[in-house]
Amino acid sequence: MQNLRRASQGLFLFLFLFLFIQTESKGNDELGYPVKIFLDFDPLLFITTLFSAHSVEKAFYLSLILVFITAVLGRVFCGWICPLGTLNNILSSFKRRKNYIKSEVLYRLKYFLLIFLLASSIFGLQIAGVFDPISLTIRSFSVSLYPMFSYAISLIFDNIYNLKIPVFTDFSEFLYSIFKKTILPFQQSYYNQGIFIGILFFIILGLNLIENRFWCKFLCPLGALLGILSRFSLLKRDVSEGCTSCGVCANVCQSSALPDKKDSWRKSECLFCWNCDDICPNNAVSFGFSKKSSQVSLNLQRRNVIISALSGIVVVPLLKQNPLNKENVFNPYLIRPPGSLGEGDFLKKCVRCGECMKVCLTNGLQPTFLQAGLEGIWTPILVPKIGYCEYRCTLCGQVCPTGAIKKLKIEDKMKIKIGLAMIDKGRCLPYAHNKPCIVCEEVCPTPKKAIWFEKVSVKDREGQIKVLQQPHVDLDLCIGCGICETKCPVIDKPAIYVTSIGETRSKSNQLINV
Amino acid sequence: MNRRDFLRLSTLAGLTITMEGFRGYLSHSDAALNNELAVAQGSSVEKITRAAIDTLGGMKRFVSKGDIVVVKPNMAWDRTPEYAANTNPEVVATVVKMCFEAGAKKVKVFDRTVNDPRRCYVQSGIADAAKAAGAEVLHIDHRRFKDVDTKGAHLKTWPIYVDVLEADKVINIPVAKHHGLAKLTMAMKNWMGVMGGSRGAIHQKLDECIAELAVFINPTLTVLDAVRILTANGPQGGNLADVKKIDTVVVGTDQVAVDSYGATLFGMKGSDLGYVRIAHQMGKGNMDLSKMNIKRLKV
Repeated sequence: MQNLRRASQGLFLFLFLFLFIQTESKGNDELGYPVKIFLDFDPLLFITTLFSAHSVEKAFYLSLILVFITAVLGRVFCGWICPLGTLNNILSSFKRRKNYIKSEVLYRLKYFLLIFLLASSIFGLQIAGVFDPISLTIRSFSVSLYPMFSYAISLIFDNIYNLKIPVFTDFSEFLYSIFKKTILPFQQSYYNQGIFIGILFFIILGLNLIENRFWCKFLCPLGALLGILSRFSLLKRDVSEGCTSCGVCANVCQSSALPDKKDSWRKSECLFCWNCDDICPNNAVSFGFSKKSSQVSLNLQRRNVIISALSGIVVVPLLKQNPLNKENVFNPYLIRPPGSLGEGDFLKKCVRCGECMKVCLTNGLQPTFLQAGLEGIWTPILVPKIGYCEYRCTLCGQVCPTGAIKKLKIEDKMKIKIGLAMIDKGRCLPYAHNKPCIVCEEVCPTPKKAIWFEKVSVKDREGQIKVLQQPHVDLDLCIGCGICETKCPVIDKPAIYVTSIGETRSKSNQLINV
Repeated sequence: MNRRDFLRLSTLAGLTITMEGFRGYLSHSDAALNNELAVAQGSSVEKITRAAIDTLGGMKRFVSKGDIVVVKPNMAWDRTPEYAANTNPEVVATVVKMCFEAGAKKVKVFDRTVNDPRRCYVQSGIADAAKAAGAEVLHIDHRRFKDVDTKGAHLKTWPIYVDVLEADKVINIPVAKHHGLAKLTMAMKNWMGVMGGSRGAIHQKLDECIAELAVFINPTLTVLDAVRILTANGPQGGNLADVKKIDTVVVGTDQVAVDSYGATLFGMKGSDLGYVRIAHQMGKGNMDLSKMNIKRLKV
């Protein structure tokens, strides 16, 4: 069974990576692959979104399939499918000593985390995505690991390219072109928070060296949710009379299921990896549907459950302690992707998977740190200085698993304002320096341009009269896409810049309200 | 041997041998040909493109067997063909086909876009059309910009895409459009698509830089797509009311003359365009259409 399990893990990891890489534009309007399907199957995101926002996207009902599978087969998702579980599994094999932490407490942490997340989601706070393994993995890959991979590979090939060694360089360029067509991104992206999110992910991987599948055993809230569901599963484990209590199985167990304790096997912890069955020298362990297994029920103790739930409740008003929650206080740099819900609803739905950032054509969508408060950490904002919002692109809405960013038709998207551009006359060339420049107008994508010129006569230093075109922003036409800011020749601190005012999604963050 | 070396050598050879007949094959030094403009009009894009080029002696006159040819359309914008923000894909495909018919070994098509390159290549329809015609449609590889001295008074040293410098023949296929600063963008301004670096910075001396760059690139042939022209809100448009369908293609070896003729399509004169005037004054082309032999065809 071990090989079968590994094959399944490999297959799903491959599928995950394949879909991840496909989460990239090829230039067409639609992406073409169901890239968010791993998230659609995630019942933790389903239930917390349902609690916090009282509505979920239709695709999320797919997660009920996983609920059903778990109810029949137990936590096979963790043992056989989960890409983060597989990565943890691989990393665990680098651990030298096989003995596990004999802790009666640690494995319960994930249940407390789950209760915490569920309680806070009931009170309208959606932070499950920060801890959800699928969301966490996609986010870490999107903003850190994949850009790292791309950077490293390109660096190698660029060095060989610059060496210009005959034949060898040709070969490496050939190889590079194949990589570019298959596994490398179209362009190198850089993300705020990329280092931080990367470090957190490496810590999760590194913990496997302390304890096999540390994350899966002790921390994973999705694992906890599936663990609870698996208590009633039909697939059971049986230990026959032949067991000599040699304890070999305890060394290969991937979780804290206590397989060596005949009567106190923890079913909710079992990942159904089949290791104990495979290794048992007396062939005493077997899994099946018609088995009678002796198991202990999950005992979290009422006190702990209440504390976890209370913390989850208390954290809701705690995280709201931010002036952004005051009426008419807005962060000008909180420019949300086009189609985003109003800020309150947006935060109730966004699970911070980072797919929108991965798919953004210009690298402009970036994870926040505190721009939306601690509550909104790692949610997407557009940073026009890094990249603008492409006028006819709707990809972020297409990949959003929760509808925090609505899926828009191109015609509708082109009308949505995500902010407004304003001109810094102290830096703009035709204003401040009497030099001609029209780049903002040239790149402005609206059919009737949102930037218009006023012809003015100015005198230069020698007293010569010069006719210049000074740009103005038409507040009705500007959609805040930010291409003017991205392409402004005053590149370090653009002379035209977008802020969130005027955004369609807000009733009050408006400049003109008539 | 790259195109530049080839030209230098062949000019030398031409001078020493003084074989007047031989010079006919060297497009750049062909004074007679430089006076010619072909303007074809008709409903079939492929036919007018072919007719105009054939009038100037056919593609064989410009592309030799085994040549590596760069065909540079304008596909800078994420717009579909009917908006006339990018070169008509059929014009591009026809020119690519004609290059191969003339014996070209390889035809490369690329542009450094303003909008996302993937969308520009696909939405313009050019990537598909050019690939179907056999061209190698490549995205810009940023390692391939090489700092070169353009010998211009204003532009000076600038990173230029090396494929253009190394190609045997270079064919410019711009589209005729309105532009907020340059007034119109057609052939000469299209060379901004092979510039690396921060192109926004040249807008302070735009006309001078356009002229100097175009003179430096010195294309073998210019095919101006005026099947649809964009008369306002250029260079990317977006409103079909600004697009005028005039089913025209203008071909010439003198890019200044082509742009000068192109200006007339918008009711302007070549001398209204700063970069045309400057290039004319540099002696690197002729904006005076009365001195040109303009062959008009209805196809």
